[in-house]
Amino acid sequence: MELKQLCEMQGISGREEPVRMAIYHECVEKLGEENVTIDKMGNVIAHKAGKNPDAPHVMLTAHMDEVGLMVINATDDGLLRVRAIGGIDPRVLVSKRVRVGYDVPGKDGKEEKKAISGVIGAMAIHQQSAADRKNVLPIDQLFVDIGAKDKDEALRYAPAGTPVTFDTPYTPFGDGLLLCKAADDRVGCYNMLRLLDAEVSGDTDFVFTCQEEVGCRGAAGAAFRLMPDIAIALEGTTANDAGDMPEVSKVCKVGQGVAISFMDNASIAQPEMFAEMMNVAKACGAAHQVKMSVSGGNEGGVMQRTGMGVRTCVLSVPCRYIHSPSTVCALSDVEAQYQLAKAYLEK
Amino acid sequence: MDIFGYLEGMASQHGPSGHEGPVSQWMAEWFRPLTDSVEIDPLYNVIACKKATVATPDGSPAPKVLLCAHQDEIALMVSDILPDGTLRMGQVGGVDPRILPAGVVKVHASLSGEILTGVVGAVPPHLLSDADRKSNYKREDLFVDLGLSHEAVRQKVAIGDLITLCGPATKLLNDRCAAKTMDDRACVGVLLEAAERLQRMQHMCDVYFVATSQEEVGCKGAAVAAYTVDPDLAVVLDVSHATIPASRPDTTVPLDAPAATYGPFIQHKLLEKLKKTAGEHHIKLNTEHATSRTGTDTDNVQVARAGIPCVLIDLPLKYMHTTVELLDMNVMKECGRLLSHFLCDIDERWDEDLWS
Repeated sequence: MELKQLCEMQGISGREEPVRMAIYHECVEKLGEENVTIDKMGNVIAHKAGKNPDAPHVMLTAHMDEVGLMVINATDDGLLRVRAIGGIDPRVLVSKRVRVGYDVPGKDGKEEKKAISGVIGAMAIHQQSAADRKNVLPIDQLFVDIGAKDKDEALRYAPAGTPVTFDTPYTPFGDGLLLCKAADDRVGCYNMLRLLDAEVSGDTDFVFTCQEEVGCRGAAGAAFRLMPDIAIALEGTTANDAGDMPEVSKVCKVGQGVAISFMDNASIAQPEMFAEMMNVAKACGAAHQVKMSVSGGNEGGVMQRTGMGVRTCVLSVPCRYIHSPSTVCALSDVEAQYQLAKAYLEK
Repeated sequence: MDIFGYLEGMASQHGPSGHEGPVSQWMAEWFRPLTDSVEIDPLYNVIACKKATVATPDGSPAPKVLLCAHQDEIALMVSDILPDGTLRMGQVGGVDPRILPAGVVKVHASLSGEILTGVVGAVPPHLLSDADRKSNYKREDLFVDLGLSHEAVRQKVAIGDLITLCGPATKLLNDRCAAKTMDDRACVGVLLEAAERLQRMQHMCDVYFVATSQEEVGCKGAAVAAYTVDPDLAVVLDVSHATIPASRPDTTVPLDAPAATYGPFIQHKLLEKLKKTAGEHHIKLNTEHATSRTGTDTDNVQVARAGIPCVLIDLPLKYMHTTVELLDMNVMKECGRLLSHFLCDIDERWDEDLWS
């Protein structure tokens, strides 16, 4: 699948179904139905046998879900009340476009449905008080306007629980950069789909996980089921490298290669595995960097503490403005993540 | 008129105040088939004239009516190039910094002649103090990321280059639509709707449709256009705040109908005439007050030359000065219908009872 298609697909945490089914079908096409499972959490697990029976059993993850919003109610005048699913700074929501609901193709007895457009407005600058200008609008004062005239109409189009995603077209820009939504972590999904073709050394389970953004809930169950020897998360991570950022605050640099974490807020990379990953990166020529700052958390944490313990390492594509409607990453870093993961799996 | 088609087009135009050259050319093409002459003046006002189609009964000269809606937009400009190639922003007109974080912008690079895509970035929340996290970002704290190295940016972009906002026309339920620059190009669309209706109507006045420039920086284009046209009376069209949950009482109008302003800058008898026209044609017309300044071209047109009686028609708009300015396209049509009938009601006796 193309990265554009994956990034523009809708799938907030707990409602990953459009992404899940597209990924499931591609996995089945490549590995056969008998090797692909959708588990009880909604993860897609694609199994590939290794060529070396002595090589460790590897679990690779990339999460399907993206941060977004969920409808909880509507105002009397027809505006949707929403809450964030995953960590979203409300300041990035003002004056943005969203898609409300998902496109559902009319097949298998399902009624065809289309997502509808919405916008998040705010009081005009002319009418703001000094306090309005200063204070951040919290999520309960931001509304999604779909053009509905009253509460009934609004909730008919978007009942409570309706998922809402950013409406950002996939836009290449600058010097090899990409502007999109959901790069975290569709870049990982994109690479993992490509890795299904790798000549893996050990038995490998490619796990497209759900609910990472609300506490890595999908990866926990999948790791328990698989009990791998090694787990690697393919992620998108915050870069913090642009503008007048002090050098000490930078986490990694966009365009400088895949970021290998020695530690983040969820786990410490298994030191031998970290060293091995650095060596593989050097040997295969994949552009790489060490994630410079302890920041963010991801599935590495829950996988590491599964069962009797799992050796983990995290390989990330650096992303600017992560968890916003306008995530920026470098296509060369996406490629580097693929190269390094492939070289490691085939070793 | 295909209102949504027009809105899609206008939202893709870039025309910050003082730099309306390209958008004025685009606007002129819309007026050309509907009017007798179209000119663009030195300030980029587009002045389109449609002559009276019937003579006055007493042979007196046709009354001249000036219609104003502004075509310029608020924007930003490059104020500095930072060491990593990101840009600091100044502003052209009142841009609310709250709308900028994670927004997409176009940088009009003067050295390379390109229009570059940029993303507005900020220091992320986890690096801010608790107090700063509760405050909105100031424009000075934000930057535009072009995804280019400092050297590449230096070759393309100069200090002072314009930065425009992006907000394509997005169709919503109930014929509502959101886009950037509804303020006030939607009202230029109302002028076009009225011009199209006039093709099938008879009017005794000469009509001057003007898409004005530099409204957002002090209604400068309108002052010049009013001098040039030298009208007997004027109708100004601008957007007005529609009600949202945070609105304070008496500061907004409902979204679903045109409105007209009353107050000292508005000629009260002309307003009565407008209300009468609305009533005769079953057009719902709300009103709103302006105790002095209206914040529209009216403020300058009223005092142009020896003075010009004005009325002000308001097109209700939610979320003004954002990239999701939202209106009801049916109300645009109603405004156009009202305006066309009002023009047909202007005859040689229009000013008989203005001051009693």
